[in-house]
Amino acid sequence: MSHAPQVDFSSKNTQLGPASLVLRNAAVGIGVVCLGAGVYLGKSGAFNTDARSFWKMYLVAFLFGLTICLGGLFFLIIQFLTRAGWSVAVRRPAEALASNLKWIWLLFIPVLWMFFNGTAATLFPWADLATLEANDPGIAHVVGKKVAFLNANFFLVRAVVYFAAWAMLAWFFTNNSSRQDQDGAMHRTLSMQKWSGPAAIIFALTTTFAAVDWIMSLSPAWFSTMFGVYFFTGCVTGGYASLALITVRLTRLGLLKGIVSGEHLQDLGKLLFAFGMVFWAYIGFSQYMLIWYANLPEETGWFLTRQVGGWLPVTLMLLFGHFIIPFVGMISRWPKRYGISLAAASVWMLCFHWIDLYWLVMPEIPNDIGTFATYGDLVAKYGTQPNGLENPLNYILTAGVACLVTAGSIAYLQGRSLVPTRDPRLHESLSFENV
Amino acid sequence: MSSVTQETSTARRPVYGLIAEFDNTGDLMRAAEKVRDAGYIWWDCCTPFPVHGLDKAMGVKRTILPVLVFGAGATGTAAAFALQTFTNSFSFSTWALVKVTGYPYLISGKPMMSLPAFIPVIFEVTVLFSALSCVGLMFLFNGLPRLYHPLLQNNRFRRATNDRFFVVIEARDPKFLRGTTEAFLRTLGASAVEAVED
Repeated sequence: MSHAPQVDFSSKNTQLGPASLVLRNAAVGIGVVCLGAGVYLGKSGAFNTDARSFWKMYLVAFLFGLTICLGGLFFLIIQFLTRAGWSVAVRRPAEALASNLKWIWLLFIPVLWMFFNGTAATLFPWADLATLEANDPGIAHVVGKKVAFLNANFFLVRAVVYFAAWAMLAWFFTNNSSRQDQDGAMHRTLSMQKWSGPAAIIFALTTTFAAVDWIMSLSPAWFSTMFGVYFFTGCVTGGYASLALITVRLTRLGLLKGIVSGEHLQDLGKLLFAFGMVFWAYIGFSQYMLIWYANLPEETGWFLTRQVGGWLPVTLMLLFGHFIIPFVGMISRWPKRYGISLAAASVWMLCFHWIDLYWLVMPEIPNDIGTFATYGDLVAKYGTQPNGLENPLNYILTAGVACLVTAGSIAYLQGRSLVPTRDPRLHESLSFENV
Repeated sequence: MSSVTQETSTARRPVYGLIAEFDNTGDLMRAAEKVRDAGYIWWDCCTPFPVHGLDKAMGVKRTILPVLVFGAGATGTAAAFALQTFTNSFSFSTWALVKVTGYPYLISGKPMMSLPAFIPVIFEVTVLFSALSCVGLMFLFNGLPRLYHPLLQNNRFRRATNDRFFVVIEARDPKFLRGTTEAFLRTLGASAVEAVED
């Protein structure tokens, strides 16, 4: 019988050491410096960055941080929804990721501010229909029909609703879980279980519409009904990879001895494998195949842009790096069970999750994409388009956001035990084994 | 017919093995570890529900089933790709000394070899091959289907589906000696030890 052995819940085993304070402050410092430098350089046009590219890079960096935190929130919701026992020992790191949703809206303020100083069309072409009409009447005609949804006021209201919903959900789950450490109240678990259902619905709707608002509307004439789910696969990829990485890091620090075992790592690995690799590929392919098969001019341009010039290698990188290579690498049991291989897979997936966001946000669909007689003509004109991955501004901005998210997560973990010590299912998690 | 039945029931039948009954999983786990360490090979544990950690206590090696299923899945991938490549091709001219031709259909101007269109079929056939081979090989490895088992004749053993836990050591085990093994099982804290006829 799997008798849970005597587990050490003392602060030596379940609290971050004083060094984490240094790390947190350093992360805040580096994050602020990177973001400041990135914005300054971008605004001053360094590395030949035009305003539109700069804002898109900023959006990629922001979405990278946001999706990771949303992935953490989704993990919490789904654990309570299924009343899972195994995951209690690794729930705190997910709470730490989700807790960032309480402040991450601050990083989106610059984007929202563009609507107040009249430069929103730099990023969202639909914000200035007159200019769009002058540049591309065809697109403007289509986008004009979407004005009831794509208008500045409604966009701002929606953004506020999304961030409020996420902050509220993150607060609800982190607050109840943290307080349970003190009072051990059963009603907290019951309440989190009860509200996890509505929370899942709210999560699904807000992430879907956020994906439509912030990514899909960058190319306002294009549409895909699968897009929200595709964005969600990105959230879980980033979230689960980060969760696995944090968990492995904590065990490497000598913490959580006798609490987190290879069994928990294996399950985190399974989730990363199932959602980050398989589900992502499944949804990505479903979206691609429907558009490829139907071959409608208003839909195919989005993919055509991404398969010529500098974007072709990025697309192939995603196919192999986000799916085929990690799929074969992680399919068997042992790479999921060892900290070193799981951490390597997590870092790998985080890199490709970033590339995925970059691939979603950055390419510009040329106005004349639908006018070529043959594929060869298209390649002849756009076959040399750069993908801009060499621009260091990308990495400065992303490092800034990533550092701030790291600092926020550390700050959350500093304030409490690294494991929900009085969760009613903790013993179940401690003695959990994969059959 | 009735005489035959009588004859078999009165005759001394060979022993299938010994069963030891335990009241709880803790006793069973400890017993399993000792049976494992004593070097028995042909033995098993029977429980009403899956007991975590029992495989380790029994020293059961991990199955090679996943590797075989991966192979079957890869075969499915290759087979589905080959099937579609062949059926969409104009001709595989002289194969098996006959001219063989596929069924090329031009669908909405797509190329004959359209990989995106092949992928759903490749995916489905991969899943089909994996699932069928997984179930089939599991039956094969477990010696199923098996319509008769000596243990099912034993009245005490009936509670293995309810609230008792059993260690069964078969007579064909090289270390099996009726008296010694029975005494050994009694030392493990079994609530009952009993011989089962074949």
